[in-house]
Amino acid sequence: MAESLFWALVAAFLLGCLAVAAASLDGALGARGRGAGNLAGGWSAPLAETARLMRQRRRTLVAADVLLWRTGGAALLVAALLKVAVVPVDGWALADLAVGLVWFNAMDVTVWAAVWLTGWGANSAHALIGGYRFLAQGLAYELPLMFALTAPAVAAGSLRLAEVEAAQRGGAWFVLWMPVAFAVYCLGVVAFSVWGPLSVAAGVDLAGGVLAELSGVDRLLVLAGRYALLATGAAFAVPMFLGGADGPLLPGWAWFALKTLLLLAVLVALKRRLPVLRPDRFVEVGWLVLLPAVLLQVLVVSVVAVWRY
Amino acid sequence: MGVRQWLTTLSLRQVHVLVVEVPGWWSTRVAAQQQLSARGWPEASSPADADVLLVCGHPGARFDAAVEQVWDQLPGPRARERAETPSDVADALDRAAAVLADTDRQRRDAQDRDRPDDESDQHSTDADAHEDSDGDSGANSHEMSDMDHGDMGDMGDMGDMDMSGMDHGDMDMAPGGIPLAGGGDDRDGLEMDVLQVPLGPVLPCWPAGLVLRCSLQGDVVVAAEVEVLTAGSTAPAPDLSPRAEAARLCDQARQVLELSGWGTAAQQAARVRDDLLTGADAAACRARLGRLRATVERSRLLRWSLRDLGRASTTHGAAVGLPVPVGDVHDRLLSFLRSAGDLLDERLDEKADHHPADQLKVSARWTGTDPVELPDLVTGLDLAAVRLVVASVAPDTATADTSATAEVDGG
Repeated sequence: MAESLFWALVAAFLLGCLAVAAASLDGALGARGRGAGNLAGGWSAPLAETARLMRQRRRTLVAADVLLWRTGGAALLVAALLKVAVVPVDGWALADLAVGLVWFNAMDVTVWAAVWLTGWGANSAHALIGGYRFLAQGLAYELPLMFALTAPAVAAGSLRLAEVEAAQRGGAWFVLWMPVAFAVYCLGVVAFSVWGPLSVAAGVDLAGGVLAELSGVDRLLVLAGRYALLATGAAFAVPMFLGGADGPLLPGWAWFALKTLLLLAVLVALKRRLPVLRPDRFVEVGWLVLLPAVLLQVLVVSVVAVWRY
Repeated sequence: MGVRQWLTTLSLRQVHVLVVEVPGWWSTRVAAQQQLSARGWPEASSPADADVLLVCGHPGARFDAAVEQVWDQLPGPRARERAETPSDVADALDRAAAVLADTDRQRRDAQDRDRPDDESDQHSTDADAHEDSDGDSGANSHEMSDMDHGDMGDMGDMGDMDMSGMDHGDMDMAPGGIPLAGGGDDRDGLEMDVLQVPLGPVLPCWPAGLVLRCSLQGDVVVAAEVEVLTAGSTAPAPDLSPRAEAARLCDQARQVLELSGWGTAAQQAARVRDDLLTGADAAACRARLGRLRATVERSRLLRWSLRDLGRASTTHGAAVGLPVPVGDVHDRLLSFLRSAGDLLDERLDEKADHHPADQLKVSARWTGTDPVELPDLVTGLDLAAVRLVVASVAPDTATADTSATAEVDGG
């Protein structure tokens, strides 16, 4: 009991490190984009931002649903922690559930509630519209994401992540023969982290959307939750698509860390490079392009799996 | 004490500034953005996100009241400054930082705000619900949140807003001082809540001083009324040199790009703008603008995203006799960049001595849309589209008739 608690804290700490790394990289990329000579300021941006938000007062709004508002804000971080519990590092996970993959997806759906509640609780038009935008976006990305997660499970014949990882050991990584599923998965990660091209819920045009009324610690929790979700998405992709701890020379955990950081860096860099996908148009793509494409991918994987055994 | 000092020092590296532009003080606002960018300070997206409220220019009485409301919504520690000329900006920001660093002063400010202020609070029954003293801070929407509260006599002119299908009878039912949403038929003839949400005048990437009072069903604008909050004194004469005109077009393009969520391109546009204003080498400006234009033109994702948004027909423009830009948001974005390029090609090198006649020609080439046109253009669009359309038609609030108001009823 005490031991698993210890490892849970370690996992939370590592997730925190990843989130800070993502935020630092984002700060540095922002500083570079501005043409600032001082990149050090960019790297340390999350530190300064945290200090600022710790010093800032929380807001109390008229007729706000304070309980749900704050629950929603904190739930993002909780969802990220619960997701990371099933991710195996070199075959060992905090909670090696037999249905780890389904667990991940279930936690993803709680993000829907968390983002929407953050928008709802503030009793502000902009925040509420932001929350609903996230749901509209969810309609577009969630089903393709679910089917994208199905592909590695079918190939490995298991919903247990350690077995999905083991199925790739010494063989072809799943990303190589299920690129469509991997791409759709990454899109899903970006979407549930309210990030980059899929960040309409926190859009500039809504004065920050779900973030519009948040300040102080409340804002800090939501921002940290977003980075943590992005980091979890990157970490989860490693056993799912990128061969887990598989790799030459270095020990398994090092490969895991390396792959996670690389994917995380790519996801972070995506932020400013693309225009935002407006939900009304993205839904069309989700259902007419992504969903059929990923279904075809699952079909191909299934045929291969049947032919193999 | 050490930790607190450390936090303060760290937090001053990332001061978030909410920049408010008064019509006519464009160049001050741009100078503020340049300063922020140079210091690595982000621009705040909303009052809740802001530490500093920086007013660029001299606002009129109504505008000032709106600024006052926004000020009440800053969470604190907070500071407020005003800058008239571009050269004032740096000092104003330094002063603001000093105020933020003064922990004792901030603590006093926080205590003063917590004290209930009965005279100004008409809804003392719900005093438990807020920490701010004026009874409606942060409610509903952060920009001029009481403009739409019919029960606030000072600014709200709800009484003469005649919008069909809206039920003003339930104005009295106002929990927390916010009237409940009325009902109305939506686009499909189903009854749906109608919420009054004012956009502006304090909103990033939004024309200076513009207030667009929208009636929202969901996030669709079914009716809108426009007003321009004016300056309190005559603004300095705008620089009409081709360089400045081009910079203004780049800034407009920046706003559209920012609103479409494309950070890199928006930053590029800001850099072209700043280069033009700081008198960088003409060829370099032209090259940078050319690259930006190529990037924007190449992006199929952007075209797909902005396609057919806010399409204005030529006949419409002709009918009302106003220079409504044709095409959709994407067309107008490209035309900003193209016109800026044209201006540079022709006049940049001889900016020192151009004739008054040339000035006229240049400034006649691009005049923003008259704000009274806006309700027509935005009715029936969702909020994201409204923001993009407004930025893309570049309403000219600086020269707008001060009494300009217009309204349109959704059908």
